[in-house]
Amino acid sequence: MLLQLRNVFKWVQQGGQRIFLLKDINLEVAEGEFISIMGPSGSGKSTLLNVIGMLDTFDEGEYDFLSESVHTLKEKYRSNLYKEYIGFVFQSYHLLDDLTVEENLEMPLLYKKIKGSERKALVADMLDRFNIVGKKDLFPTQLSGGQQQLVGVARALIGKPKLILADEPTGNLNSQQSEEIMQLFKKLNEEEGVTIIQVTHSEKNAEYGSRIINLLDGRKI
Amino acid sequence: MLRNYFKIALRYLSKNKLYSFINIFGLAIGIASFVLIMLYINYEQSYDKFEGSENIYRVYMDYLEGDTFIPGDAQTYNLSGPTLKSEFPEVLDYVRFFYFEKMTFQLDERIFEQPLGSLVDPSYFNIFNYPLLKGEKEKVLSQPYSIVLSKSFAQKLFGNESPLQKTISAFRDGKEAVLTVTGVMDDIPKNAHYRNTFLISYETEKTWTDWGSKAHELNWNANNYYTFIKLDPNTNADVLRQKIIESDIEEDTEEQHNIEPIEDIHLYSNKPYEVSANGSITRVKFLMAIAFIILILSWLNYVNLSVTKSMERAKETGIRKVSGAHKSQLIIQSLFESILLNLIAIMLSLLFVVIVLPLYNGITGKGLNLQLGSLSAFLPYFLFILFGMVAAGLYPALLLSSYSPIKALKGKIQTSSQGLAIRKGLIVAQFLATIVLLIGTIVVTKQISFLESQPIGTDINQVIALKGEVVTTKPDSLLINEYKVLEEELKKLPFVEKIAIAQSYPGDSFDNLSSNRGILLPNGIKQDDKLFYTYHVQPDYFDLVDIEFLAGGTFLPSSNFDGKQVVVNETFLKNMGISSYDEILNKTVGFWGENEWRVTGVIKDYYHFGLKSPLLPMVIRYERDVNNILIKLDASAASVAGFESSIAQIKSEWTKVFPKSTFNYTFLDQKFEAQYQEDKSFGAAFQVFTLLAILIAAMGLFGLTSYTVVQRKKEIGIRKVNGATIPQVLTLLNKDFVKWIGVAFVIAVPISWYVMSQWLEGFAYRTTLSWWVFALAGISALLIALLTVSWQSFNAAVANPVESLRDE
Repeated sequence: MLLQLRNVFKWVQQGGQRIFLLKDINLEVAEGEFISIMGPSGSGKSTLLNVIGMLDTFDEGEYDFLSESVHTLKEKYRSNLYKEYIGFVFQSYHLLDDLTVEENLEMPLLYKKIKGSERKALVADMLDRFNIVGKKDLFPTQLSGGQQQLVGVARALIGKPKLILADEPTGNLNSQQSEEIMQLFKKLNEEEGVTIIQVTHSEKNAEYGSRIINLLDGRKI
Repeated sequence: MLRNYFKIALRYLSKNKLYSFINIFGLAIGIASFVLIMLYINYEQSYDKFEGSENIYRVYMDYLEGDTFIPGDAQTYNLSGPTLKSEFPEVLDYVRFFYFEKMTFQLDERIFEQPLGSLVDPSYFNIFNYPLLKGEKEKVLSQPYSIVLSKSFAQKLFGNESPLQKTISAFRDGKEAVLTVTGVMDDIPKNAHYRNTFLISYETEKTWTDWGSKAHELNWNANNYYTFIKLDPNTNADVLRQKIIESDIEEDTEEQHNIEPIEDIHLYSNKPYEVSANGSITRVKFLMAIAFIILILSWLNYVNLSVTKSMERAKETGIRKVSGAHKSQLIIQSLFESILLNLIAIMLSLLFVVIVLPLYNGITGKGLNLQLGSLSAFLPYFLFILFGMVAAGLYPALLLSSYSPIKALKGKIQTSSQGLAIRKGLIVAQFLATIVLLIGTIVVTKQISFLESQPIGTDINQVIALKGEVVTTKPDSLLINEYKVLEEELKKLPFVEKIAIAQSYPGDSFDNLSSNRGILLPNGIKQDDKLFYTYHVQPDYFDLVDIEFLAGGTFLPSSNFDGKQVVVNETFLKNMGISSYDEILNKTVGFWGENEWRVTGVIKDYYHFGLKSPLLPMVIRYERDVNNILIKLDASAASVAGFESSIAQIKSEWTKVFPKSTFNYTFLDQKFEAQYQEDKSFGAAFQVFTLLAILIAAMGLFGLTSYTVVQRKKEIGIRKVNGATIPQVLTLLNKDFVKWIGVAFVIAVPISWYVMSQWLEGFAYRTTLSWWVFALAGISALLIALLTVSWQSFNAAVANPVESLRDE
């Protein structure tokens, strides 16, 4: 078992009323799964993803990650936990425009205090694996959307996470680029056993996964 | 890791050129201004510091004015030093100086004037621990007719030959003394208030001139000597001061002796008969305040810009956080960037300082430099800069690192109301400083032009004073006749309008006035505690400098009268309690043991020393002697060429009459204006630094608006789509700034009013703090701000709304 959510609620107070963002969510994810979260806008997909990624808190319920109780952990341990085990991929890539492809890949390693020579090796390895060695000195703005997202995925993977959280990773891409990214996810999942949870609007993309979770108004249906 | 930070910071700076430029340039100007002002202040505070100087005090006189004693002359009696030493064991030693503004020397056939020297006691080197290059400190001044030369004076006289035991002639009022060189001392540093270039043994005074032996007798009559005493290091100077005052060594109820540390003379003493014009602690304090204002202004600017910019960097922060950056790592990175930026600014500022320094030295008249030696004195300021650098970097760093990653990634960072309040506060503080400086500049400028435009009661345009030393053994009476001959010859020159001989004149140095107390008035009352000042002139003087007579007239020709005539001024009458001219005109007054001084006229007050000092009670005596020849030139000598030919003819007449002599001349109006020189350079410095402060503030505002405009781009687009006109959008963008300036103005007015009133207190005659001064400063600040802001907001206002709304 990688993670487990039990009776998770999240709400905001608006004009004396509780607006529920997540309502009684129960979810178990085993290692090696590939899950797609679907649902209309405002149904709480991204919120759920952020809660799983520990970027966001929740108001009620329990969350275990690798048998640590996330809801009782202090902020510092929580961030250590996600730094260690989780990689994020975003719809708008979120690469640092001031850094080259190579430097963008290197950044998470810096924060993990990995030595220079080892960083170099890991980055070179990743560039090689994603076939972007020739682009290592380019800046994100010099790349196509698909290439940027490729870098985004590479960056998420470089810390060797157990779990990849992808928030509409193909939302800004055309169909051919989408296809490539989804193939990549599938390959990572199948060949390397990386657990993947993605939020998507696309039925087609959702089918790459092994399981689909549908949300409506913060509730699992 | 650091290398990575460094690389990224550099790349960020070079990518955001406007931001980096404004920040670095603003900081560099701020730091450079700070360094320049502090160099000046350090220099001003470094006066008269030598080994043991902390135990050296100058003795001066306090005079009774009404019922309190006020600081009087800087000069004391020849008895002051010896008496203090014998009566107070704390006084280890004393040294007396008789000061010569300049002296004529003759070596073989060369005759020339040398400025600044003194007759001085043999104890000189025991008290002033300056290096003696040749000779023995104990012996060099012990014998009469000995002279110690400064290194450069010795060089000038003897080149590379050893000057020891050589002889040289010196002339004091035409009387020759053959002096033997017994020593050579190092040149006295520029930051000393008393810079002798030669020292003549004190005993020489006794036999040099006819009146010498009389003057040399110990007495309480003539206070013409500077006295310095050396105290036992364990002495409490304040206690000793009290003891000196109470013991009343002179036994005179109208005056008392007082002491002041030699180190304080330059900045704190501004007495009559100072050796040289001193600095002013008020100026130093003002400049120091300006230095700190500018530096802090540039930091405020930096903080404000960085905070604004940090919102733009929210996304980056979010990405870094999600990629595993710890909060402390983000803070360190941000601090690293800010320190890097500051270091670039510091290096740039040092470059500015090096470039500007020669010009700056020209304005301040000081020999400032960036020596390593002075860096130790700079340590506290350096630490202050370092502290400010970190403090200024910390706020944006903390703010940036505190963003929640999800919000940051969505670009939803909005300044909290608290953060907004801080930024508004920073802007108000910037404007506050700017307006205060603006008001200060206007007041200083107004005061200087007030001083220059006031009527001074005399006309000294186109008047020159000739003064040369005549080397002769003739008695005074013969010399006076030769002067008469010269005067007649000069009168024949076509461009000479008027001519008169005078011992002193408006704008002359204090030295040539003598201060006196004790006068017997015609009504039989003897005024013992009222000061009056006297100098002597010949009858044509008043007409030449155009001083108006209220009653009576100038002296009668001396053939009709046996000298002993005086002219007094209005202030004299007022101070002595004389209400009508009849009480004094053509009557006699008594002073200097002579009761037959006939008052031939009462003149309207004129300013002998400019408007910085109050009007002095004057008694101007008639005396025929050898002195300044004042010449009023006519219009033909007004041009440069006209003047050069005129002065050449005057010089040729002079040399005809006095072949063995020196010749020099001074323009009276230039000398008079020179009294305001320090205030003018202060005003100039104030203006320059205010301009720089405004530049910094304007640059900051410019940077700030460019981000505000970007942030509100969408809002502007929506408003325009819904019918807002360009002026309406401009109003929307500018009205906040107007409001902030208003707030700053309201705070600035009382502060500047108070501070500038204090400054004006230092002047005997001062301009008013008119309402328009404040209004002008406020409106200027407003205009500068609006121009700066509108530059950007106008572009935003005229932009096609479709452009700004498209990227949504």
